[in-house]
Amino acid sequence: LPEPRPGGTKASERLRRLLVIVPYLVRHPGTELDELCRLFGVDEAELLDDLGRLFLSGLPPYGPGDLIGVDIEDGRVWIDMADYFSRPLRITRPEALALYLRGTALADTPGVAGSSALATAARKLGDALGRETLGELAGHVETAGGGRPAGSLDVIRHAVERHERLRIAYYAQSSAETTERDIDPEEVFLAVGRWYVVAWDHRSDEERLFRADRIRSAVATGERFEPRGLRGAGRPLYTPSERDVDVRLRLGPDARWVAEYYAVDETRELDDGRLEVRLPAARLEWVARVLLRLGKEVEVVEPESLTDRLVDVANRTRRRYVDSSPDILSVG
Amino acid sequence: MHPLERLVNLVALLLESTRPLTFDQIREAMPEAYAQQEVASAKRMFERDKDILRDVGVPVEVAATDAWDVEQGYTISKERYYLPEIDLTPEEISALFVAAHAGGEDATAEQGVRKLLYGADGAFLARTSPPPVASESRGLDARLLAAAEAIGDRAGVRFTYRTSRGARSERLVDAYGLVVRGGQWYLVGLDRERGEIRSFRFSRMVGELERADAATPPPDGFRAADHVVAAPWGPGDAREHAVVAFSPDVAWWATSGLDGVEALGTREDGWHVMRLPTAPGDGIVSWVLSFGPDAELLEPDTLRADIVRRLEAVLA
Repeated sequence: LPEPRPGGTKASERLRRLLVIVPYLVRHPGTELDELCRLFGVDEAELLDDLGRLFLSGLPPYGPGDLIGVDIEDGRVWIDMADYFSRPLRITRPEALALYLRGTALADTPGVAGSSALATAARKLGDALGRETLGELAGHVETAGGGRPAGSLDVIRHAVERHERLRIAYYAQSSAETTERDIDPEEVFLAVGRWYVVAWDHRSDEERLFRADRIRSAVATGERFEPRGLRGAGRPLYTPSERDVDVRLRLGPDARWVAEYYAVDETRELDDGRLEVRLPAARLEWVARVLLRLGKEVEVVEPESLTDRLVDVANRTRRRYVDSSPDILSVG
Repeated sequence: MHPLERLVNLVALLLESTRPLTFDQIREAMPEAYAQQEVASAKRMFERDKDILRDVGVPVEVAATDAWDVEQGYTISKERYYLPEIDLTPEEISALFVAAHAGGEDATAEQGVRKLLYGADGAFLARTSPPPVASESRGLDARLLAAAEAIGDRAGVRFTYRTSRGARSERLVDAYGLVVRGGQWYLVGLDRERGEIRSFRFSRMVGELERADAATPPPDGFRAADHVVAAPWGPGDAREHAVVAFSPDVAWWATSGLDGVEALGTREDGWHVMRLPTAPGDGIVSWVLSFGPDAELLEPDTLRADIVRRLEAVLA
């Protein structure tokens, strides 16, 4: 066993961790260090350090057979003489609440594997932990569906696994256009209840993120690609680009939500109660459409071209109302 | 002696002891921990250790050591310490493991699920990996956890709320239930001032959510999800309808995930006509405008006139 090292993670965190790792090892003797690190979210050096401390611990007055035995061989760990730690510490109320809520939320996300197991698990947790831990909460957390199903998700996942190039029809919110393009999809990931695909886009010859629920159709081209190691998970959804224009807006009370909803990189409270924000945008069409819905609640500070674009969008929209009479009887 | 060793030993001692132990008895049993210094500072160290144990969730209790209640001792009840047996299948544990790791920097759910892993089939777990999640996925909102606790205790909550139209007001709500819909969490409860059951989106709460006094119980047969209607502008009870035509570019996704949408057919120009439930207010007007020239509101006339007026104001 390595010599314990000083410093590092707080003793309370390390204790919290040990009180769950030890019962796991009692139940699963010979578990690999790698697996322990993955399951318990700890790096190997810290884990070895913790196990080293454990080796020096036990039940006072530490008679023969009272010290915990720790054995590490060929990257596997065995523990003995720790019967009193053979079951983990009870789950705390905040832990149970957080787990219960996350489980319920993920069970509601369309396209998640095992969502039925999740639903039954959340129910069993509710039953077993009962009133003492969850109080009246069990049975009062519901899922309403309504997640946007992405019809092409299975095709895309299959293509990711087999490194298959896809031809997709994609509706881009930024330009409000549907285009066809070939993509090399590398990872499908989840963000705020939606699925995204990170891919090499052959139309722009760049790495791009695509919202799965905006992919209208996806067909395998039959070609294979060499993965470039593009990562989806852990990255921000908005990637700054050289083509970005700085858009500066002043938001009235009814428009302040814009600052929460879009990737805003600067905000300033104005004396008149409005909020000035700066947001980078590679395309102005989507910004103009947002402005259209906000009406008088927003003022454009810059760029001037955005005001022109807004007038253009308003004109194109008004034409719908002038040229067509609202005759829904001609519906076929 | 390292604090971790001291803490592990203390848990073992109190957990295995058949009776409450006084500080002096603990000091005697663990001399290397609490007898290396004078009593006062040893006692302070013990108090800090006890706080750490409670912080981690170890139920350290104080109890009389004898029938005459002369001295107080410390004990950890096995029944309260150990996790109760929960009969979860390997699939269920894996699913919870995945869910706990799905997003957010908040580690509370992860800590929780680790306690359940011991009952899992190791080989099954080895094949489980969390779904990839983007860094912007928010962790669980602290207000959501606070509301969950309030519902658990059947208490009211107080918060500042911004409606979809931007109006802010203070709300006092008897919290009845939580609903998740399309990645968004909602609180459903009785708005005491308005005397109605309302739904509130957590992302529209401003500042903290505070606990209020005891709440009334939900009415019989209450279902929180019934009160969260996914209208385009957020929750709200649908009382009216609007007819909207969408261009082929947006029609295939514009209303997906919304409740109560009825497709009326396709126009000669290829646009799709839909009938949607709407809530009072101009939410539907700004929602339709957000599609720009890709949507046209056909009915009712009053809302159509509102849209034209809004467009002309931009062009003036």
